[in-house]
Amino acid sequence: MSAPASSTWSSLQHIVRLDLDKTYLRSEFDTFSDLLKSALEKPSEKQAFPGATALLRALKQNDGYRICIVSGSPTQMTRVLTAKLALDGIEYDEFVLKNNLKNLLRGRFRAIRAQVPYKLPTLLASRVALGSVAPETLFGDDAEADAIVYCLYADIVAGKVPLDELERIMVAARAYDDDIAYTLDLAKRQEKSDSVQRILIHLDQRSPTATFARYGARLVPIYNYFQAALILYSDGLLSARQVLFVAREMIASPEFELTTLANSLQDLMRRGRLAIDVALRLAEEASEAARSGALSGATDLPPFDDISRAFADRVRQLGGARPLERPAENPHLDYVSLVDAEQEERREKKRSRVRGRRR
Amino acid sequence: MKRIVVDAMGGDRAPEELVKGAADASLGLSDTEIILVGDAAAIGRTLPQVRHDGSLIRVHHAETVIHMDESPAEALAAKPDSSIAIAADLVARGEGQALVSAGNTGASVLACARRWKLLSGVRRAALAAVYPTELRRGERDDPFSLLLDVGATIDASADDLVTFAIMGAAYARIISRNERPRVALLSNGHEAGKGPRPVVDAHALLMAHTELNFVGNIEGLDIPRGVADVVVCSGYVGNVVIKMLEGVSETVLRLARYAYKERLLWRAALSMLSGGIERLKEVTDWEQYGGAPLLGFEHLFIKAHGRSGRKAVANAIRLTAKALRSDLLSAIASPLEAFQNRVGGPQSSPALTAGQQSQAEDSSPHLDD
Repeated sequence: MSAPASSTWSSLQHIVRLDLDKTYLRSEFDTFSDLLKSALEKPSEKQAFPGATALLRALKQNDGYRICIVSGSPTQMTRVLTAKLALDGIEYDEFVLKNNLKNLLRGRFRAIRAQVPYKLPTLLASRVALGSVAPETLFGDDAEADAIVYCLYADIVAGKVPLDELERIMVAARAYDDDIAYTLDLAKRQEKSDSVQRILIHLDQRSPTATFARYGARLVPIYNYFQAALILYSDGLLSARQVLFVAREMIASPEFELTTLANSLQDLMRRGRLAIDVALRLAEEASEAARSGALSGATDLPPFDDISRAFADRVRQLGGARPLERPAENPHLDYVSLVDAEQEERREKKRSRVRGRRR
Repeated sequence: MKRIVVDAMGGDRAPEELVKGAADASLGLSDTEIILVGDAAAIGRTLPQVRHDGSLIRVHHAETVIHMDESPAEALAAKPDSSIAIAADLVARGEGQALVSAGNTGASVLACARRWKLLSGVRRAALAAVYPTELRRGERDDPFSLLLDVGATIDASADDLVTFAIMGAAYARIISRNERPRVALLSNGHEAGKGPRPVVDAHALLMAHTELNFVGNIEGLDIPRGVADVVVCSGYVGNVVIKMLEGVSETVLRLARYAYKERLLWRAALSMLSGGIERLKEVTDWEQYGGAPLLGFEHLFIKAHGRSGRKAVANAIRLTAKALRSDLLSAIASPLEAFQNRVGGPQSSPALTAGQQSQAEDSSPHLDD
C-alpha cells in the first residue's frame, strides 16, 4: 500500500517494522466468532495496547524513522485498520495486509494460516524495495510465529542463512513451491548487513519469558509498552522524555499505574535485560527533563518525586540479587526444528480448543 | 489496586511452588499486585519459567528464611530479616494489605501479632481452619466448615469466644457466600449449661446480644456432619480437635492402603469405588480452598497449608484477593462494633496478650503437620 507519511529515504536512519494484531491492537481471533467480531468492529472500537500509540508516535518523531506495518489481517480489513491508525495519529510508510481471498480462490488453503511463508517474503520484499539498508527494530507478539520469522529475517539479511537451509525451512513451514522460489530469490537480492538491532515480542499470551532465551539477547519479550520504551531508551532510540510520555499514556489507562510501571522496570532488571546504570541514567535524564520544563504538558503524570522513588524502591528491593544471565548474543538457531515445534504447538492448541468445545 | 504480600520462602515446597502459584494468580487478578518476599535471585530464576503478568509481580528480597521446624520466637529473634518478618512488616507499613504464607505457622502468627494492631473490640486473634463436612453450604455449595480458634491462643474468655463467632460468621458470609451461616459453640453437650464457664457464658452472650444464626452448642461428632458452618472453641480445644480429625483421616487412608495390598477381593472393591473416591477427593480437596485465615487483626493473613503446591498457593492468593475486594475486615468490624455497643463499650485491645504470645511461640497447629 502507498505511504501516507512523507519519508525522505535518502535520510533513512532507522526502520521500525510492526505487526498489528496482538502487537499493536488488542485482537481475539482464536475462534471463528472472534474473527467475525474483529472483522465487524468499527475503527473507534478497536483498541491499541496502552502505550503503543505514544511509543510509535515518539519513534516517528525521530528524524529518518520509517514505520512499516506488516500484518496477517486480510486485505478486506484495510479500510478499518488504516482508519484506526489515523484515529490514533500513527503515521506509517508502508502497510501490508495478507490477501487471503486470493489464497482462497486459488485453493491455496495452507497459505491462509501460514505464518513464515507469508511474513518472511513480505519483510524481505520490503527491504529489497527500499533499496537501502538501515538499522531495524521489529515488533511482534507471542501468539504465533513472530519470534521465529523475525529472527530468521534478521539472520537472512545478515547473510547467516545459506539458501539451501532456507529452502529446507520453507519446506518445513509448508510453503508452496512458488512461494519458496520467490523467497529464495528475495534472499539472494538482499544487501547483506546485520541490520536488525532489536526484536520486541509483546507477551499477549503471557508466554514464559524463558522460552525466548534461545533466540538470543537481541530478542526481548515484553509485557507492555513501558518495557518496550525502556529497552529502546537503552538502545538509544528514545529519550527519557519520550519514555515518560509512553508512561503517561499508560497511566491514563485503567490497567496501569505507577506501581505496575515500576514492577515492569524491576521485571526487566531481574531478567538481566535492563542494567541498573541505565535505569539510573533514565531517572537522572527524566529528572533533568522535568526541571527544564520539557514535561510541562504532562500534568497527568504522578509527581516526579513519586516516580523516582517508586523506581528506586524497585531497584533497592532486589537487594543486589544477581539478575539472570543474558541470553547468548548470536545463537545458532535450528529453524527447521523451531518451525516444526511451532506447527505442532498450533495443532495442539487447535486440538485443545476442539476438546474444550466438546466438553 | 489491591496489594497482597506473599512469603515466597515459607512452606515445604518453597520457593518454586510458591512463585509458580503467585504467577498463576497474577494472570487472573488484573487489579492485584503480588509482592513476593524472599530470595530475589531464586524467585527471579523461577518466574521466567512460567506464564505470569510481569507488571503485577514485585520481588522484595529477604536474606533469610524461618524453616518449618524452627522454634517461632527464637527464629524470629535470630532472623529479623527473614521472609515472614519482612512480609509482615510490609503489610504493617501499608505497602501491602494482606499476607499469604505457607510457612511455619507459629512464626507467621507471631510475626503478625508483633507488628499488626488488633481490630477494635478484639482481645485475641483467632486462627481458623477449614474442614470438609457431609453437608454443603452457601451459594457455592461449599463443603468446608470453619473451625476457630485452632491455635492462635490457648485460653479464651466468653467475650473472646463471642468475638471469634462474629469474626467467623463474617468470614463465612463473605468467602463462602453463606448469607446466614450457622454458628455453634463446641462443647461436651447440646444443653446451654454444659461445658466450662466461658462456654456457658458465651452461649448466653451469643443468644442475648448478637444477631448471628447461633444454633447453640454442638459436640465433636457434629463437626464432620456439618451441623454448623462456623464452629467456635478455644485455641487449645480447637488444636486438639483439628489434629484428631486429621489423624482419623490419615488412619482411614492407611487402612484403605492396607486393604488394597492385602486381598485381591478388597482391591477389586476399592477399584470399583475409585470413581467415587476420586470425586470425594475433588470435593474435599484442601488445595481448592487455598488457606485459612488468621482473624482479628487490622490486616488479613491467610495461612496456606505447609505442603501447599502451585494450585493451593494460587487459590490462597485468589481467596485473599476476594476477601480484600469484599472488604472482609469491614464486614468483621461492624458486627463487632454492634456487639460492643450492646454489651457496653469496647474492651481493651492489647497488641498481644500473654496467652497469645506463648501459644504462638509453642504452636504447631494442624496446618503444618
